[in-house]
Amino acid sequence: MASSHSNVHSEAAKMEQIITEFHTKSLHIILESRSPYVSSRNFSGEQILSSPSSSSSSSSSVRPRDKWFNLALRECPAALENLDLWRQSNLEPMVIDVILVQRPVNWDTVNFSPRRELVRNLSSKERYPFCWGSDQEEIGCEGKSEKIVERWVVKYESRKVRDCSSGSRRSSNNTLSNVYKKSILLLRSLYATVRILPAYKIFRDLNSSGQICTFSLAHRVSSFVEPFTRKEEAEFQRFGFTPVDTSCGRLCISVLFRSSLSDVNSEPSTPISPQVIPDYVGSPMADPLKRLPSLPISHGSPSSLPFSRRHSWSYDLYKASPPSVSFSPSPTYSEPHVSISNPRSRCYPPMSLPPHPPETSLVHKKDTSFDEYCPSPNFTPSTSPSPPIYIPGGHLSKGLLRSESAPFSIPAAKLLSSKQNMFPSSPIKIARSGTSKIEKSMGPNEKLLSLGKDDSRRYSGVKLSANSSPQISFSRSSSRSFQDDFDDEFPCPFDVEDIVPNSRPESFDQKGLVSDPHDPGGFFPIRKSQDAAVGALVCMLKKAPPLRQDLSSTTNLSEVSRPESWSNNTLEPSRMSSGENAPSQSVLTSGLLASKTTADALEELRSYKEMKNLLVSQGARSHASANYPSPAEP
Amino acid sequence: MNCEVCQLKELEVEHFEIREVLRCILHTIVFHRALGLVRPKDIDLELFEITYVQCGDVEVEKKIDEKIEQFISWVEKHPNKKSQICLSFYEVKNKQQSWFTNKIERLYWEQCKSHHSKVVFDPGESTSEERSIRRAALEASLRDVLFQIIKFVNEKKDHVPPISEGVVYFPYEITLPSSSDSAFGMDMIKRMLQTGHPTMLN
Repeated sequence: MASSHSNVHSEAAKMEQIITEFHTKSLHIILESRSPYVSSRNFSGEQILSSPSSSSSSSSSVRPRDKWFNLALRECPAALENLDLWRQSNLEPMVIDVILVQRPVNWDTVNFSPRRELVRNLSSKERYPFCWGSDQEEIGCEGKSEKIVERWVVKYESRKVRDCSSGSRRSSNNTLSNVYKKSILLLRSLYATVRILPAYKIFRDLNSSGQICTFSLAHRVSSFVEPFTRKEEAEFQRFGFTPVDTSCGRLCISVLFRSSLSDVNSEPSTPISPQVIPDYVGSPMADPLKRLPSLPISHGSPSSLPFSRRHSWSYDLYKASPPSVSFSPSPTYSEPHVSISNPRSRCYPPMSLPPHPPETSLVHKKDTSFDEYCPSPNFTPSTSPSPPIYIPGGHLSKGLLRSESAPFSIPAAKLLSSKQNMFPSSPIKIARSGTSKIEKSMGPNEKLLSLGKDDSRRYSGVKLSANSSPQISFSRSSSRSFQDDFDDEFPCPFDVEDIVPNSRPESFDQKGLVSDPHDPGGFFPIRKSQDAAVGALVCMLKKAPPLRQDLSSTTNLSEVSRPESWSNNTLEPSRMSSGENAPSQSVLTSGLLASKTTADALEELRSYKEMKNLLVSQGARSHASANYPSPAEP
Repeated sequence: MNCEVCQLKELEVEHFEIREVLRCILHTIVFHRALGLVRPKDIDLELFEITYVQCGDVEVEKKIDEKIEQFISWVEKHPNKKSQICLSFYEVKNKQQSWFTNKIERLYWEQCKSHHSKVVFDPGESTSEERSIRRAALEASLRDVLFQIIKFVNEKKDHVPPISEGVVYFPYEITLPSSSDSAFGMDMIKRMLQTGHPTMLN
């Protein structure tokens, strides 16, 4: 008796376990083919390519989980996460909504609205506090429309208790092994079905390597069904799997799916359109990497690289003219990057960035080639074409205008000039910027310098550019402004300086002098790129201290101002951070902006430190001799 | 013992499509009858926007490909004829009661028949538009067939023999039109003729 009783008991326990595992497996099967970030499909692709046997390579050893229902699945973290959250008891249904998240085709926020109307916009967090999307960030992002494309319901329907007990004895059909066999069959067909449904194509598209999509798939798992409206329901088709009877109930799986997802599918296919999915890119860092593979390396000269990059940035500006610049790594920020990358990859022509579209790719690929990148591109164009003087005016105006609409950072970037801009985009750039920028600046500067010493006032602009370099940390915001920077790079700095000179032409001379002594390279005269760069940095640093002072009164300056004020503002903060608070701040900023590598950050810090030291040493002298920046001093 | 028969929807395929279509169908069926531990493999068809599942067993893949080649050669010999391929699952039982032979008996418990009619197709007369329409239609039909298999598997579970340890898939054979099929008893043929119901007769 006892033994039989225990058998019954253990059998019930086993049945419970089967039911539990059935839910787990179902979830795993569904999410494995719906959760693109798991990229399970990439696995399969590899497997197919290499060899059939390799398929198991990822997990050649059979995990306990695989043994359940004799179905070995790929790792699907999303499934495991969701399971923990969902699982309360076997009696609760498991509802898995597969959500199509569409990003706006245009950056323009205005365009978002229409889509929302068409598609049901779920603020998942509000409605489903417990639901976990595969990518929650995306869900949270405004401007995306979401619609449920599939709703899976996995549930165990239990019979009444007495039916249960009697039922188990009654039919040998419902023995444990039989139930298990049938659930294996059910899960096999689930596995195949998941791949036949239309949503699988979306999943496929998302995981296919090169493609950039304007949509993504998310999912949420909950234990209750949020009913559809009748209208919505009409859009769905239902497929119910034949339930598996157990001793005490039955296991059911059913799915509501949209039979037509044509609207979605059409979008990704349009190659020409500049549409970009920001999320895809992820962080700015990611973008360059992504692009690189696709882009041809051959393009060319290292010098050209920098250019191309800028273009890419400028791209963003053209297209989007993104309204807000957010420092945070969040999707909004990333968007510009994405837009850039996508447009390029898809179509160089549309953007029609003037200079060297093809080259851009190269830049991204070679992070290491910073030096190359830094030196040339900006300068070359800017130097020859634009005399420092007039450029400033135009640029300044632009900068001011923009600055109004956008966070100050943008204007700063412009003012800073292309160099600074470069920084924000990629961490690497920053590192380079310290040295390379200087070099670049040197080119123009040199010319200017030759003039400059004589006409210190005008050339002061050059110095400014040098100054700007420290600001790098701020530059991140400038991503949008890149275009401007690009065009105006030189001018901006000059402009600023020009303005500055008005306030104190004298200071320039002094600075120049000071710098020379400190740095053998001597800012203006010496062509040596690095030395020159150092010199430029020194000069900038020198200028910086006064700026700090200005900062206290930044508002006044800015208002007053002219380009100078801008430059001051931007410069000051950056300097402040770099010089004083700095290492940490600069690092942080860089990280936020472009998730630079720590090595880059370190380099940056070092350069800052050097500059700081130089400044300090020089600063004492220079300040004493003549405080150029501070208005008070004559 | 019951032998379930699943008559799959007839497909009109062009010659060059036969291989993919048959692979898709046969592998899908075998996958549903491979109840041992499998690590499924997703395969994207090249001609159609369809992904099917293989059970990941090399032997199965090999056998299916061989049979498909035979089928294709048969089709080439019999142009413009409707043809059928049959996938049968059986259990092996040693007939111990018969003393003088240790004959092995195959008990068929399921047969899935896939019918194909070859379209007479003159490329010269068809526009690309017609082709794409036809292709889309075939894709839809193929998808229907897959659903048909899935539904069949779902609805008919009782006849599936118990799973034996260590066996990945149930023994099966693939019969082609040309081969004289000992597997097909008159009984089966009768049943097939009895009803027009496409899916199954039992």
